[in-house]
Amino acid sequence: MSVISVSHLTKRYGQVLAVDDLSFDVHPGKVTGFLGPNGAGKTTTLRILLGLADPTAGSATIGGVEYRRLPDPLRQVGAALDSDTFHPGRSATQHLKVIAAAAGIPHRRVGEVLDQVGLANAAGRRVGGYSLGMRQRLSLAGALLGDPGVLILDEPLNGLDPEGIRWMRGLLRSLAAEGRTVLVSSHLLTEVAQTVDEVVVLAKGRLIAETTLAELAGHSSVTRARTTDATRLADVLLAAGIKVRLVDGTTVEARGTDADAVGLAAAGAGLPILELSRHDEDLETLFFDLVNDKQEVAA
Amino acid sequence: MNATVRLARAEFRKLFTTRAVPLSTAIAAVVTVASVLIDAAVAGKPGQHALGSTLETYAMLKIGVVAVVVMLILGILAAGGEFRHRTIVPTLLATPQRARVFAVKVAVIALFGAVFGAVIFGLGLGTVTGVLAAHGIHYLPAEVGRMYIGTVIASACFGMIGVALGALTRNTVGAIVAAIAWALFVEEITLNTVAPSLEKWLPVGASTGLTNPPGPGVLAPVTAGAILAGYAVVMLVAASRTTIRRDVG
Repeated sequence: MSVISVSHLTKRYGQVLAVDDLSFDVHPGKVTGFLGPNGAGKTTTLRILLGLADPTAGSATIGGVEYRRLPDPLRQVGAALDSDTFHPGRSATQHLKVIAAAAGIPHRRVGEVLDQVGLANAAGRRVGGYSLGMRQRLSLAGALLGDPGVLILDEPLNGLDPEGIRWMRGLLRSLAAEGRTVLVSSHLLTEVAQTVDEVVVLAKGRLIAETTLAELAGHSSVTRARTTDATRLADVLLAAGIKVRLVDGTTVEARGTDADAVGLAAAGAGLPILELSRHDEDLETLFFDLVNDKQEVAA
Repeated sequence: MNATVRLARAEFRKLFTTRAVPLSTAIAAVVTVASVLIDAAVAGKPGQHALGSTLETYAMLKIGVVAVVVMLILGILAAGGEFRHRTIVPTLLATPQRARVFAVKVAVIALFGAVFGAVIFGLGLGTVTGVLAAHGIHYLPAEVGRMYIGTVIASACFGMIGVALGALTRNTVGAIVAAIAWALFVEEITLNTVAPSLEKWLPVGASTGLTNPPGPGVLAPVTAGAILAGYAVVMLVAASRTTIRRDVG
């Protein structure tokens, strides 16, 4: 059962199509990465999902309901859209107490979430003096305030130091392990690769892939073969339904298959294999290929 | 606790957790007391009315404008500041019902404006009473009570006009500059010279009908109150429509 459901969502700003007929689902108990380069339409999609912007067409719902119709939104959905939504003159405690007052959340939660995100010692300081990493933590504290079942975080790792990134990854994993739905956007796949179970990849407002990280990683396996006539080997592999790329006159790279299949296909065509190796392309290259229409991944 | 009461508590908390309110209250208090004392010091000098005369006491009590200007700025900061600092995002995430958020903010600023007007005028009146008593004068002219109530109403109205301006422009600095430019250059300088009979019908001109003693070129208090409230309502309707419709983020 999906908790977040985006269906044929379109958002147009004048001539610019920011989100183009986008559909995907996000499931509970998992961390879902919402990935795409800057300007892909991730933040626009999240803003519509959170009722901050209206869609031109389509819908985005949480538990089957539009955010604006949720009876008690902060207890159901916690969101951190960016790290700069604070009055610089208020302290972290004051900022969270304002939100808690509006949502009817007991003030003791303020101390609890500040503790949880590691800001207890800076709670009384004015936010204007906070570093980017501290603001990220405060944004997250705001999202956790209502102890919600759904968390929507836009680029939560931005500005965090390595220790902070490790901490955030652990927190996201533990929140998902508690059965919560966690949607995390990022423009860097490697940044979230250790954290996410599923990925929704977006480019130019369109869905490129909606799959598991494991499946995405499977596509990153490359088998490289050196032979006497690479062009012929490429034709043979293509005929066998294997995706190939010609590296040079003697070398081809096959993707999404294994060495056995390449070796057997070459033998069947009477082509000698001079060298056969398998390696994993790094996820960032795969992500880059994906968003540049170089490769297709089945949904 | 119902959602409207919760929102009102959040709005009051916003008001009292930045420096704007204590700072502007302090400035308004100093300006008010200083203005009364300066008026008292020059009273009786050539060209000035004698201390204790009705006209001089009225002149000393033309302090409503201080509360009005400060409330205009605080109203702009309360609404425009949400966009400037992007706190509108957590505000609308906590309460996605935008019309309710806007209405409660307007009500809270109006209430705060009324109290603010009462405090500032009260401070001025206390200073005037003290100065007069020190000179053995124990008499206040008849219209003082009406000016007190007028200042309370005008402060509430200008707080609401400020919220409307802040929400419409989404820019605190631009809105404050535009509002002051309007009051000074459009109403006070240009219209006062070109078409003096028209000025009293405009917002700042109308407010003097509430805060100042009766006189030529000043609207009767009830008319002035109705005109000012009318401006506030029209601007609030326009601002609420854009607040409800426009994207945020």
